[in-house]
Order: sequence, then C-alpha cells, then structure tokens
Amino acid sequence: MRLTDSTQLPLTSFGHEPFWLTIAKALFVFVLLVVLTLFTIVFERKVVSWMQQRTGPNRVGPRGYLQSLADGLKLALKEEIIPALADKPVYILAPVVSAVPAFLAFSVIPFGPKVNVGGHETALQLTDMPIGVLFILACSSVGVFGIVLAGWSSGSTYPLLGALRSAAQVISYEVAMGLSFVAVFLYAGSLSTSEIVAAQHDRWFIITLPISFLIYAVAMVGETNRAPFDLPEAESELVGGFHTEYTSLKFAMFFLAEYINVITVSALATTMFLGGWRPPPFLSRVEFLSTGYFPIVWFLLKVVGFIFFFIWLRGTLPRLRYDQFMKLGWKVLIPVSLVWILLVAAIRTLTNQVPSSRDRFTYIALFMAVVFAVFLVWPQKKAPTEEEVEAESALVPVEQGGFPLPPLDLVVPPMPRSLQLTPTSPPNSEEAPRG
Amino acid sequence: MLQYYLPIIVLFVLAFGFAAFSVGAASFTGPKRYNRAKYDAYECGIEPAPQPMGGGRFPIKFYLTAMLFIVFDIEIIFLYPWAVAFGRLGVFGLVEMVLFIATVFVAYAYVWRRGGLEWD
Amino acid sequence: MPTDIQAPSIAYLPLLPILIVFGAATLGVLVEAFVPAHQRRLSQVVVAVAGLVASLGAVIYLAADGTSRLVAESALAIDGPALFLQGTLCVLGIGSILLLSERRLDRSGGVVVSQAANAPGSREDLRLAESSHVQTEVYPLAMFALGGMLLFPACNNLLLMFVALEVLSLPLYLMAGLARRRRLLSQEAALKYFLLGAFASAFFLYGVALLYGYAGSVDLGDILTATSQAGKSDGLLYLGVAMLGVGLLFKVGAVPFQAWTPDVYQGSPTPVTALMAACTKVAAFGALLRVFYVGFGTSQWDWRPMLWAVAILTMVVGAILAVTQTDVKRMLAYSSIAHTGFILVGVIAINKSGLSGTLFYLLTYGFTTIASFAVVGLVRDSAGEATHLAQWAGLGKRSPLVAGVFALLLFALAGIPLTSGFMAKFAVFKAATEGGATALVVVGVIASAVTAFFYARVVVLMFFQEPTVDGPTVAVPSAYTAVTIAVGVAFTVILGIVPQPVLDLAGKAATFIR
Repeated sequence: MRLTDSTQLPLTSFGHEPFWLTIAKALFVFVLLVVLTLFTIVFERKVVSWMQQRTGPNRVGPRGYLQSLADGLKLALKEEIIPALADKPVYILAPVVSAVPAFLAFSVIPFGPKVNVGGHETALQLTDMPIGVLFILACSSVGVFGIVLAGWSSGSTYPLLGALRSAAQVISYEVAMGLSFVAVFLYAGSLSTSEIVAAQHDRWFIITLPISFLIYAVAMVGETNRAPFDLPEAESELVGGFHTEYTSLKFAMFFLAEYINVITVSALATTMFLGGWRPPPFLSRVEFLSTGYFPIVWFLLKVVGFIFFFIWLRGTLPRLRYDQFMKLGWKVLIPVSLVWILLVAAIRTLTNQVPSSRDRFTYIALFMAVVFAVFLVWPQKKAPTEEEVEAESALVPVEQGGFPLPPLDLVVPPMPRSLQLTPTSPPNSEEAPRG
Repeated sequence: MLQYYLPIIVLFVLAFGFAAFSVGAASFTGPKRYNRAKYDAYECGIEPAPQPMGGGRFPIKFYLTAMLFIVFDIEIIFLYPWAVAFGRLGVFGLVEMVLFIATVFVAYAYVWRRGGLEWD
Repeated sequence: MPTDIQAPSIAYLPLLPILIVFGAATLGVLVEAFVPAHQRRLSQVVVAVAGLVASLGAVIYLAADGTSRLVAESALAIDGPALFLQGTLCVLGIGSILLLSERRLDRSGGVVVSQAANAPGSREDLRLAESSHVQTEVYPLAMFALGGMLLFPACNNLLLMFVALEVLSLPLYLMAGLARRRRLLSQEAALKYFLLGAFASAFFLYGVALLYGYAGSVDLGDILTATSQAGKSDGLLYLGVAMLGVGLLFKVGAVPFQAWTPDVYQGSPTPVTALMAACTKVAAFGALLRVFYVGFGTSQWDWRPMLWAVAILTMVVGAILAVTQTDVKRMLAYSSIAHTGFILVGVIAINKSGLSGTLFYLLTYGFTTIASFAVVGLVRDSAGEATHLAQWAGLGKRSPLVAGVFALLLFALAGIPLTSGFMAKFAVFKAATEGGATALVVVGVIASAVTAFFYARVVVLMFFQEPTVDGPTVAVPSAYTAVTIAVGVAFTVILGIVPQPVLDLAGKAATFIR
C-alpha cells in the first residue's frame, strides 16, 4: 500500500460518504466548471487584447468581466437553424455527446486535501478510482465522437472535413499524451489521481520528468484543438470547422465543451506534473497553506496559469499546416516519448538494482558511449547540391524587387454544377450564366 | 468496486440534464423567421455541393491514421500496467518492455520509411 | 492492492527455433524499410532462408539433446512431436520461400502482385502487371506465418495456441490475395479465406472460453487433470471440445469445414498455395494432435465419435468431389481434403504408433505437395498458369520430364507402393487397426481407391492423349524451383523405398510431454 500522508484519505474511502455530500460535491464541480468557463472566455479575450494592445471587452459588468455571461444569453436568444440536409437525431445528439464527457472528465481531478464537512471526513475530489487517469482519457475519447457526429450529421462539406481532421488530430495526439503519462505512473506506481498527487509531496514530477511534461504540454494543446493546432476549425480553410452548421444554444454547447476541455487538461497537467493542490514543497511545512480548504487556491492558481499558457500560445503563434502538425505528432512526439520511457525505466532499474553509485556511473558511462557511437554512425542527410538548389529556386519566379511571386496564369476550372445536387433539373437548363 | 462510480453518475445526471435542457430549449428561446436559404448547407455564399450522406469517399490517410492509432493505443494499454507494477518486476520487466517497444519500433520504422506518416 | 508479482522464468534456449524465425521476420521488415529497392529481393531471400536454416539447426540441436520440457510457465511444450514438426516446417518453409523467389516463370519477373490494393483490371493494375516492379513484403509475411506455425504445435496453453493461430493465419489471408495474374480470383480467395478463417477463430476462442469455464484453466495439463475429476459440468466440456475442434478442423480443411479449400488454393499464388497446403496442414495437425492427445487424452470417448464422423466424411467427400474437378489446382485441393481424412484416421488411433504414423504422414505429404504445386506453376500459357485439365492433355509428349515428375508425385499422393505416400498410408492405417478403428480403415482404403482413379486419369491425360494445338508451354525454371522440386521428388522416392530411418525417428519423437 502506498504511503499517503495525513492530509489525504486512502483510495478505498471514495464513494462511501453520505449521498447528500456526493450531490453537494457534484454540484460544486459543475458550478466550478461553468464559472471557470465563463471566466476563461472573458480572460482569453482580455489577455489577447492586451497582447495586441487593444482594450478588449469592457462594457458588460465591472470592467467587462460579465461579457461571456451576456454572450451566453445572446446565444440563447438566437434563432435555431437545423439544415435541411442534416441527419436530425444525430445532429441534436452531437452537442450533448460533446459536452457531457467534458464535464465527467473532471470528476476524478483532486482539487484539495481532506476536509471536514458536517462531521464527515471527505476529500475535495468528486471521486477517485484505481484507474483514474484512464477514465479521463476515456472521457476525452468519447468527446471526439461528439465532434465527428456533429460534422457528419450536418450534411455539409466543411463540417465533415473539419470533423475528420479533428478526429485524426485528436487520436494522433492522444497517443503522445498517453505515452507521456507512462513515466508518471512509473514513478507514482498508480493510475489513481489522488495517489499521484500524494506521490509528489516532496518533489513535483515536472522536476523529475521534464520531458514527459513537455510532451504532455504539446499534446494537450493538440488534444483540445486549440491554437496553434486549431486546424479543425481553421477559419481560413474550413469556415468554422465541425460546428459550421450549428447555431444558438447547440453551438454554445460546443463552445462550452471546448473550454471545459481546456480546463480539464490544465487540471490534469496540474495533477500529473505540478503536485495538484499541493503548495510548492518549500511551503508544505506551513500547516495553514497545505491543509483545509486553502489548497484549492493553489490548485486554481496552477490551472489558471495553464489557461494563461493556452491563451499566450493563441496570441503568439500562427496556425500550423496540417502536414507539419501530423509530422510533429507522429515523427517527433511519439518516438521521443518512447525513448524517454525506456530511459526512465532503465534509470529506475539501475537505482533499484545496483546499490553502489560507482557501478551506476559505470553503467551510465557505458550507455553514453553506446549513444555516442550510434550518433557517430548515424547516416547524415545529404546536403542539396548546388544544382538542386538552383533547380528549386528556378521554379518560383522572382520579380519585382526580389519577392517570390505565385504563378499568375492560373485558370479556375469550371464548376460541374449540373452534375451535383440537382438530378431533377434537365442537364441542359440555362444554368451556365449564373455565378 | 462500483462505489467509485456513484459520484460520476450523479455528475452525469447533472451534466446531461444541463446539456439536454440547453439543446432542447434552443428551439423555444429563439425567434423563427423562415428563409429557405438558411436551411441550405453553408458554403460561403455559393451554391452548396455536399457529399452524399455517408457515401462520400475520404482520403485513405485518415484510415491509415486510425489503424496506426490502434497499434499505438494497444501499446499504451500494455505500458500502463507495466508502469504501475514496474517497481515489483525488476530487471525482467525492463528487458521484456525493451523487447516489446523495440518490436513496435520496427513496425514504426517500416511505416515511416514507406511514407505512411507523410501527409500531403 | 495486488499482491507481489512474480516474474515468470523463461528458458530461452528451447524457444530458439521459434525466436529465430520471428527474428528473421522482423529483420525482413527492417530490410523492407531500409535496404534500397533493387537489393531488397535478394536480401529478403537471404534473410528468410538463413533464418529457416538456423532454425532447423536449432531444432536438430534440441532434438539431439533429447529432453522434453515445458517452458515459459508450461505455456509451451518442447517435446518430440513439437520438434519433429518444427523441423518439418523449417524444411518445407525453405521450399516455399524458394518457390516465392522464382523469377523466371512469369514474364514480368515475379509471382506476387506489385500493388495488391489496386482494383483488379484497372488501368494501374494492368500497367503494374506488365512492369518488372515486384513487392517484397511477401517474404516477411511468409516468415511471420511460418513463425506462427512453429509455435502452433508447441502450444501447451490454449490461449497461446489462439495467438499462434492468429499469427499464422493473418499473413496467410493477405498472401492469398497477392497473385500476380487472375487478380479477381485471388482477391476473392483472400476475402473468403479471411471471412471463414475469422469465423473459425471465433469458434476456437469460444471453445477456449468454455473449457476455461470447465477446467478453470487454459493449460492443457490442467484440463487433463480436470477431465479425470468428478463433479464438473460435462456440458461445458462437450461444447468446448466441439468448438475447439471446429477451429482446428477448419485449419486442416476437414469436412464440413472444407468449403474454403478449393477456392483459396485455386486463387492464391501457387507458391503460397504450396505453403498453405504443406505447412499449414502440418502445423494445424500438430496442434490438433496435442489438444486431443494431451488435453483430452483420457476423455477420448467424448470426442472420438465426432472425429470418426469427420474423418469418414472428409475422406469420402474429398475423394468424390476431386473426381469431378477440371482444374488442376482445385483437384489438388480436393485431394488435400481427402488426405486430411487419411491423416485424421491416424489421429483417431490414439496410440503411439498412431502418433508416429501421423507425424510421418505429415512429413511425406508436405514434401509431395510442395513439389506438385511447384510443378503446377511450371505449366503456363499467355495468361499465366494453365491450370485447366484440358490444357494438360499430351503434356507427356511435349515435356516428358515435367510430366513424368508430376505423374510420380500423383502416384505418391494416390499411395502407390514404392512411393512415400504408400508408406505413410500404411503407417496410419496399421495404427488405426491396432487402435480398434478397423471400419475407418476400410473406408480409408475405398477412398484411396477412388482417389487413385482421378490421379490416374490425369496421368492418362498427360501421356496418352494428343497435345492440343495452342496448348501451354512448360517454362524452364530457375534453380529455386528446380531445387524445390528435386528435393520433394527425392524425398518422395527415398521415403518410399527406405522409409525405416524416418519412421524410427518419428517413432522416437512420438511422445507428448504432459
């Protein structure tokens, strides 16, 4: 059994509290997520506007902080349009499928130590289980269904493309995300979130496992379809992506789901790598800062920090091209994490099995020698010859003061409209002059 | 065992109720002004040319990505229990996992070299 | 919390033959990835053949050592029958790889298609069929299949046996669809094989689940212990054995699970057909023997009647339907079904001589079959292989050597004395008589007579009829095919005249470790 210190309850205690307490905690999680979402939306607009030297929203409420509430109300008062070609049941179901798992994923996130509520000892965490992190991954996978179903059921081209991209993107980055956790489990010896937090009582995993954290930080942005990886809703290519055909509160559900996902992955990053609700180790001796309700503040601080990181990325980086994006996921993140896992495992085995530090150094030196040898014999990429460079540059005409110009003699192909959509109209009706 | 999931059911009821209510309420809260064009598929103002429902053809890359995902997801499923039990498996665990990952890496190298990871 | 985990102890040395073949297959994948295209084919052949030779060496080393043992927590049994069959598989595997490497027969230089994903008859497909572009993935695929086959008869654990079954089947499904000519037929074969094979695998797995419910273990040794205890639910046992039987009998191609055999044998590229006919049968019978002899050795009254019926049906249906065939490959497929029936007679004997007879039969049948399919691949016309029987008329006048060799192989398949087929049939029938299955032997002899009729018909066709005007030509093969045919024929003749050393070997090997 893992050692849990006095501030935490053992894993088996979850789910045994009175029912009213469960409902109270569920309500708390629900309200927390909705409020955090409202905050995040307006926070995002504020931060981005500061970065772009604008004022941002400043009309509704004090300094504009109620703006997202007003937006939500406005969405509720908009006309609801269901496209004629949509598959109606699926179309209506999709926003629900998208939003519900987003809420559920948060249920295993610990946001505080054990507290006393009305005479009952309970952890500030809705529930936990031996497979806690797997549950979060499962929820995020179910969320993809919402996106795919939305795109498919809209009966329209752009949403379908957006949904496909989104599915491919999320599953690609889910692999990297899943791999980045392996090293954490290796150190924590458990998949339960509360035990992972307990395992970080003296040192956060961001310090022991920096590479895992980096991989996760990239993967979580890809997983949530956020800039610079927001290709499924790339406005310049796909209008609005999978939710192009959604209006009114159905659109609001997708919006909500996206932001809750951002909050959840931030909370997960906090839990896995930043010690969850625990204060920085040098403050952990201070009773007041690490027990009772106060650690929620630490938790929220860390989560908001990650949210700021998301917004910062959006404010700074341009969107990636799809092939670059897939290349990053499949050709960089996955091999790096696999090698990293083996490295961590090897080091762990070494520290466990080899008692004397001198022998350890011998092994490490041996390993470094092997790595160096591989590096030496690794075939180098041939640099392009002069002729190849010439040939390459000859393809792009350079005129007008040295700027490369795109080819100017492109012809837009005629649209075979009579072949599409209107099988009832005679093929030779006077459709040509239109457009 | 199942007591862990009771709170999740409570939260599910809450979240589902909220989402279903919002989706259902949308048709009552908003105005209704009929216009045929509104119900067309959106294509930036030009006449829409949608794929037939469910009958469109997708680039094979998506299928390939899906299959690769399954390979790696299964690898992850093997890695998780191994990682949890790692402290108790000792050198044996390390050796076996090195062999396993090496085998998957062979397939990975093959896919990479054969252009299965290119997206153009 | 889980209790302390014991790391299993695995003795790697007895696993060496299997590990070598899988290692070679993996190396083949790397060759495919990193070796430049023009060197790939040769590298693949070298890797595959070297792997199989090394594996054979390891088998001989282990056999010389002579100790039977259960390894890997008794999931695998490396004993006499396992090693005998593994050795057989290695040799037959080398033959199949050599057949796959043949370049001189097809005018484009390869027996397998260059891009199987193209729609048959499409412009791209036709273009590639004439180009000299050859895909070499088939070698690692064959090696993976062979690795699974080496594993299959050694499995002492039903779950591992299922894994082995899948490892050997999945590459075969794919390889069945790789014929360079007659693409549509080939793809149909692959799809049929895959669908029915998946169905049979599901049966197998269901049987494993039921037996687990019966015995509380998937270990054959534990199942044997459970069958001798009272108070178990026999319903689970009967259903489990029946379903397990369906899965295994499908792989060996016994009636009523034979429907795929003719179509798949006909549609697959001929070297792949040779691999399937020879090696799959050997491996699947190895597993069948182990399951019934080890796991259900004491509950034979429960399953023997079932196998009786299957064996009789298989012999009769195989022999009779073969008579009506007009395609050489289909005829050989039905003959292989009939042979499955004969081998089952040996299985039903349930005694030591039955086991050794079955082992010997598998060895001789493998060599004869692989050589006969190799010969079938030689007779070609402009559209590829000329497999219609009418086209073979008068072949003896055009090419006496090939026709003579084929006639000899057909005699062996028919079981004419002085060929290995006779000795093999004699061995299993004798064992079955000893084992009290005389009625079965009578049916077997009658079925043999029927099969002899259609083999003889082909011989008559080849030697005593005038050749047609636009008949097929007999291609001159390269050393790859020639060596395979020569070795197959040599074994067929030698084992027919001096079978005793190999019979002794099979007799020595014929003890299962429990």
